[in-house]
Amino acid sequence: MQSNCAACHAGKSPAGGFDLNTLTAPASLRARSDSWNKAAFRVYNGEMPPGGALDVEKREAFAEWVHQNLRSVACSDGIVPGSAPARRLNRYQYTNTIRDLLNVHIDIGSALPEDSAGGEGFDNAAETLFLSPVYAEKYLEAATLALNYASKDPRGRAKFLIAAPGPGVSAEAAATAILKDFLPRAFRRPVDSSDLDFYLKLFASARSRGESFEESILYTLRGVLMSPRFLFRTEPPNTMGQMRMLDDYSMASRLSYFLWNSEPDGLLMALAEEGKLSNPEILKGQVARMLRNQRSFDFSRSFVDQWLRTRDLGQAFQPDSQLFPEWKDSELQGDIKNQPVLFFREILSHDLSLLDLLDSKWTIATRKLQKVLYNTAIKPARSDNQGQPQRIELPEGSNRGGLLGMSAVLMISSHPHRTSPVLRGKWVLESILGTPPPPPPPGVPKLDETAAGQEPATLRERLAKHRANPACATCHSRIDPLGFALENYDVMGRWRTTDAGKPIDAKGELQDGMAFDGPNQLKAALMAKKDLFIRNLVNKVLGYGLGRGLVLQDSCTVDRIVAEVERNDYRAQSLIDAVVLSVPFRYQEAPVPSNGLKQSLPSAAKRENRP
Amino acid sequence: MMIPRHQAMLRRTVLRGVGVALGLPWLEAMVPSARAASAPANVQRPVRVAVLYMPNGVNTSQWTPEGEGRDFRLSPTLLPLQDLQDQLLVVSNLWNAAANTGDGHYTKEGSLLTCTTITKTLGLDINIHGVSMDQVAAQRAGAETPLPSLELGIEPESTGVDANVGYTRVYGCHIAWSNPTTPLARETNARSVYARLFRATSPAGMGAKQDTLLLDRVLQQGKTMRARLGAADQARVDEYLSIIRSLETRMERADDPKRTWKPLVPLNSAPEPAESPAGHQEHVRLMLDMIALAFQSDTTRISTFMFGNAVSGVNFRFLEGVTDSHHEISHHSNNPEKLRQYAVINRWHIEQYGYLLRKLRDMKEGERSVLDNSMIMFASALSDGNKHDPHRLPIVLAGRAGGRIAAGQHLKYSEDSPLANLYVSMLDAFGTPVERFADSTGPLAGVLV
Repeated sequence: MQSNCAACHAGKSPAGGFDLNTLTAPASLRARSDSWNKAAFRVYNGEMPPGGALDVEKREAFAEWVHQNLRSVACSDGIVPGSAPARRLNRYQYTNTIRDLLNVHIDIGSALPEDSAGGEGFDNAAETLFLSPVYAEKYLEAATLALNYASKDPRGRAKFLIAAPGPGVSAEAAATAILKDFLPRAFRRPVDSSDLDFYLKLFASARSRGESFEESILYTLRGVLMSPRFLFRTEPPNTMGQMRMLDDYSMASRLSYFLWNSEPDGLLMALAEEGKLSNPEILKGQVARMLRNQRSFDFSRSFVDQWLRTRDLGQAFQPDSQLFPEWKDSELQGDIKNQPVLFFREILSHDLSLLDLLDSKWTIATRKLQKVLYNTAIKPARSDNQGQPQRIELPEGSNRGGLLGMSAVLMISSHPHRTSPVLRGKWVLESILGTPPPPPPPGVPKLDETAAGQEPATLRERLAKHRANPACATCHSRIDPLGFALENYDVMGRWRTTDAGKPIDAKGELQDGMAFDGPNQLKAALMAKKDLFIRNLVNKVLGYGLGRGLVLQDSCTVDRIVAEVERNDYRAQSLIDAVVLSVPFRYQEAPVPSNGLKQSLPSAAKRENRP
Repeated sequence: MMIPRHQAMLRRTVLRGVGVALGLPWLEAMVPSARAASAPANVQRPVRVAVLYMPNGVNTSQWTPEGEGRDFRLSPTLLPLQDLQDQLLVVSNLWNAAANTGDGHYTKEGSLLTCTTITKTLGLDINIHGVSMDQVAAQRAGAETPLPSLELGIEPESTGVDANVGYTRVYGCHIAWSNPTTPLARETNARSVYARLFRATSPAGMGAKQDTLLLDRVLQQGKTMRARLGAADQARVDEYLSIIRSLETRMERADDPKRTWKPLVPLNSAPEPAESPAGHQEHVRLMLDMIALAFQSDTTRISTFMFGNAVSGVNFRFLEGVTDSHHEISHHSNNPEKLRQYAVINRWHIEQYGYLLRKLRDMKEGERSVLDNSMIMFASALSDGNKHDPHRLPIVLAGRAGGRIAAGQHLKYSEDSPLANLYVSMLDAFGTPVERFADSTGPLAGVLV
């Protein structure tokens, strides 16, 4: 740093206000971790020192050194829970919660604006659940719609209109019975008599306007669904001077929004009432039960779609419909999008190895998917499940094992009309290994990899030429080989041996000498890097489970969970158990000191052990 | 002139507590402009402002008009606006100095309307460090119409974070920010916007009165709840209570027999849009129709529209001779064929812009048109997308803002003149003048008559 940075970043007026002298003491790792992080990031990205004065190995070594130091300092304080701010339900959680509350099956959340994503890339992150003025009217509209719908459906009525006035039952008594049942379910914790009185008054005000019993109770329940206690997940503040275990009802909600993306059911609420959700064995039992429950599909869908970015299929990403008319078949679209979700869910609910995500001897697919895209031996369908996805044992040497054998993944990492080794390589680095390549250095034009114009060279030749440029080679020599190994799959994920009349060359070699030819050898190579994969997956699941971005201090929790998963032979439930039993999931931090813990983890965790 | 003073409204508005500094302009905003269907033809009609944002920059060689001042010839990309030339104000050589940092897209595109340097983050510290120009206008004049502003888009919210560059994609999906940490949600479904416009303008009835009471109770309950929370969580719940309070205020206003606002044109003059548009172009046009309808009826006077999110990968192969998606083509590497396709995509955007302009031009308001009374800005936050070039931003303004804008010109400024100066002039023309906006150094010379 003295030789490379001090010339500008020291003295009376250090460049950019960045003064090296503030970072000389070891204590600065703790006190000024923001500055350290920034320095590491800018050096790593090649922005500093200016003019490319440092080669990439030196830049990476510097970043790694900084991050290792930052992490060891962070963990020396012991594991901390981190923040758990109040957040509104996102649109999926809103839909599911209304579904469970009223027993209605309508996509009510589609009336709400789409949510952003932050942190580890999920739309349940507290920091990106913004509130625009439009939400006020949308919530009012959705509450009205849902209650009207539910009150006209016998299943809905049976769920929440559990009493009615009649002989010996006054309107107020019926309303009381309904509210006593509804309020704790809607607010996800017990209510007191003043809460009940409050809503009974609202009920009475409607009655005094001359409205019928039913109109009045629906009006009252709309008030409940507009309450911030329903729309927001909040936890009672920690008033002690140190971290403390979360209360049982908060724990019930954390569990249910993690594994069901919805409110706690009766059993979770009962366990909370008995004070049993602080017991690790009971928690583990609940995790197993919840993963077996159909509702865990909502977790799998929400997590997998965002982790792999396959939510964009048919949304931001549309394959060219003229080149790929198969995509017009909405049933096939659904089959493609569901495959990785069902695969993940199968791993979870049967407690299989997480390494199956990298490569597996089985997969899940519908007959249509097998027939139209995979051309695999078709399992004879039972007459009762023609269109249903089914588990398939793959023959030896099949190229359909793991996530990388799935159309959804191969599509989302393509252009709409052609495959791209660069995009696929980048996808593997980002989504599988958690080691995204840095952006191109400033001023370097993007690689021209398309065949537009009259260029005679093949894509591989052009990419090779590109890698001859040292500024590009640094990253493209780790991106491109991964993508080339997947070239046997077309945009839709179909197997091919030629492209535009030329045989596919699926060979690739990484800088560390690891060479492979085709997807199966690539998967074997990734299996050798399973530590990176598991660490990335742990980051993702923990970030999703906590509903926030991870900070430097969380890396100690991540270390522990990774060790736990390895000790359990990569079994899926050991990961979920370890997240649920982790300190950040079960504890509340001490009242926040104002210095904040704001360095985000990805820049720390993802910079090391690059492939 | 009668000035209705809604005490309740003033009180509640001031209580909003979202960190907006309230000064004298608030009182000005409370004075509704004169209006009536039977008013004489030359009466002052409201000024409207819209921003149409195009991602991924332009083919610069095809963008800039030839000549300056009133004597200018439209460039190939702008040629589809030929019949509107006297309504156009092309401003060249502006840039947003604060956005000239680090990353290619997010820093520049997110801050198009704030002229600030955004905080680099994957989400935890989202901060754009400003309020966008449209929201500065909305916070001061939005109370005059049923909806303060209308935020529209085409592409769904981009999922995930961009781990390569270390930015949350939130920055790439929003140009309208009501405060430094709150991007405004956009609507992407035209039918739902249509329903919203109707709801906002329909006469209040018994139902609305009950809803108002309901919201009042929600506020009351919210206050009890917030007392049991920690400080940070209280702020979150306060945000919610503040949007509930402003909805309540709006509903009360709609319900007020002395209410002076009336739609300038009935909303049902336009048909309900299709549920699912047939393609990208139809989707865009349906959304632009909603802006036209909202402006014509005076349901709002402020709107932002995003043709796509930053780094948009919309597949433009539906255009003759285009073989790739938007972002991909924008990185043309100076390949002549790709540059040609880039210009085709840019021109398509200008054609859609022209579609809206003509629609507004054909909506008569007395002797003028809605376009005459509007400022419709078209902008990209990059010039050459290949280099992520923030200099010489491609910007056109159309409409005269009721005679305030010196349209029919190409104004060329010295290199790297502040974009914020344009916003100072626009806010002035809109009737919500500011002394300064971000790094502005004054109004942009020559823009105002």
